[in-house]
Amino acid sequence: MLASFDTHLFWEALSSSPYWRGALLAIALTIGSMAAAVVLGFFLALGRMSRRRAVRGFVFGYNWLFRATPTLLQLIFIWDALPQLWPVFSGAWFKAWLAAGVALSLNEAAYMAEIIRAGLLSVDPGQEHAGRALGMTRRQILRRVVVPQAVRIVIPPTGNEFITILKLTSLASVISVQELLTAAGEQASRQFKFAETYGAALVYYLVIVSILMVLQSRLEKKFTWKSGGRRRVTAPAVPAISHDAR
Amino acid sequence: MADVVLRAEELHKRYDELEVLKGVTFEVDRGQVKVIIGPSGSGKSTLLRCLAMLEPPDAGHVYLETQQLTALPEKALAPHRSEVGMVFQRFNLFQNMNALDNVMCGLVEVRKLGRREARERALEFLGRVGLADKAHQYPEELSGGQQQRVAIARALVMRPKAMLFDEPTSALDVELVREVLDVMESLAREGMTMVVVSHELRFAHHVASSVLMMDEGRIVEEAPPDEFFSSPREERTRRFLSLVE
Repeated sequence: MLASFDTHLFWEALSSSPYWRGALLAIALTIGSMAAAVVLGFFLALGRMSRRRAVRGFVFGYNWLFRATPTLLQLIFIWDALPQLWPVFSGAWFKAWLAAGVALSLNEAAYMAEIIRAGLLSVDPGQEHAGRALGMTRRQILRRVVVPQAVRIVIPPTGNEFITILKLTSLASVISVQELLTAAGEQASRQFKFAETYGAALVYYLVIVSILMVLQSRLEKKFTWKSGGRRRVTAPAVPAISHDAR
Repeated sequence: MADVVLRAEELHKRYDELEVLKGVTFEVDRGQVKVIIGPSGSGKSTLLRCLAMLEPPDAGHVYLETQQLTALPEKALAPHRSEVGMVFQRFNLFQNMNALDNVMCGLVEVRKLGRREARERALEFLGRVGLADKAHQYPEELSGGQQQRVAIARALVMRPKAMLFDEPTSALDVELVREVLDVMESLAREGMTMVVVSHELRFAHHVASSVLMMDEGRIVEEAPPDEFFSSPREERTRRFLSLVE
C-alpha cells in the first residue's frame, strides 16, 4: 500500500454528505445546462440557416462571442460584472448556482448550435423535396422527417458535450457554488490529506461519466431505423472523451 | 375542348447564368401518358419540378385543371402540391419510417386522416404495388425496386390528379427496372394521367399517348410513339434516338 494513503479517510470522504450533494448539484447543473443549450442551440442552428441575413449575422456573432472567450471568464463575468451592469441581477434571487447554470447554458448553446446544424444538414435534401411534393409544410417536414434523423447524428457529439459540461461545472467552485470540487477542496484544506480527498472526487467524476457513456450507447441503438432485433450503430464512432480546454 | 389536367404556359427558368427552360408550353389531358426524353441538361427534370410546383418558374404559368398555381403564395400552394404525385429518381423515402409509415405520412400530416383509416388505406396501396408483406421494413432494408414501388404508393395514396415520374428507373439495377415499369404500366392502363421523364424507350412505345423530345430548354418535337420512333421529323430527335438505342 502507498506510504501515506489513509484508506479510511478516503472512504469517509467518498460517503460524506458534502460529496454526495456536490455530485448531485454537478449532475443537476449539467442536465439543466445541457437541456437549455440543446433548445437554444436548435434555434441558433435554424437561425444559422435562415434566409434572412440579419438572423445569420446574429447567430454568427453569438457563436463567435461564446467560443472565442474562456468559459471561466464568462462565468465570472456573469456572476460579478452583470449585477453592476444591470441592478436586476444584484437581487438575492440571483444565486451562484443560477449564474453558473446561465453561463454554462449560454456557452454550451454555441457549441450545440454547430453540432445540431451539422446534424440537420446531414439529412439528404431529397427527403425534403419528397415531403414538399406530398404537400407537407416546412415545419411538418422538420418535425417528422429531418429532426428524427438528425438526432442520430447529433447523439455521439452531444455525449461528448455532456461530459465536457460535467467537468466544467467544477469551474463553478470559483464562485463558491457547493459542487463536487468545492466539497473536495474544503475537505482537503481541513485535513491536509490531498490524495484521499481529491481522489474521492476523481472517483465521483469517473462513475458519473461512465453512467453517461452507457446511457449514450443505449440511446444510439434506439435511433437506428431497422425493423428487426438486429441492431447496428450507424453513427460514426466518436471517442467519448473530449479534452478541449474551455 | 379537351379535359386538361396539367398545363404549363411559356415557362422560363434560370439558375444564375444558366437558362434551363426557354419558354416551354406543355399540357397533358386526363388519362394521357406523356413521356419526355432528351439529353441531360435539356430541362426535363426542371419542367417536372415546375409542374409539381416544387420550384417556381421565373416567368410563365402552371395550371392544375383550371387553377392557376403560379399565382398562389407559398402557404396556399402546399395543399395543391398534394394533388400532383411526384416520384423521384432516387426514391427519397423517409429513412426514419418503415414502408407503411412512409405511405401513411401524407394522409396523416396533409389530409389529416385518423391513424386507423390512414393505415388501412396505406396497406391497400402497398398491396397494389405488391409490397403488403414489406410494410414494416425500413427503406435501407429494401431493394431499389422495392423502395421505388413504396415511393409510388406514397404518391398514389393521396389520390393525385396526375403523377409525375422523374427518371424513376435510372438509379436501379437492370434486373429491378421491370418491376417498377410493370407498376407504372398498370397505372397507365387504369387511366392515370402521367408525365414520365425516362429513357425506357420500349415503355414509351407501349404506354405513351405521345412522346416529347426536349433539348436546350425547349420542346423540340411531340408526336404519338409510332410516328415519333419510326419517322421523327427533327434532325435533333433522330440523332438522339440513334445514340440511345
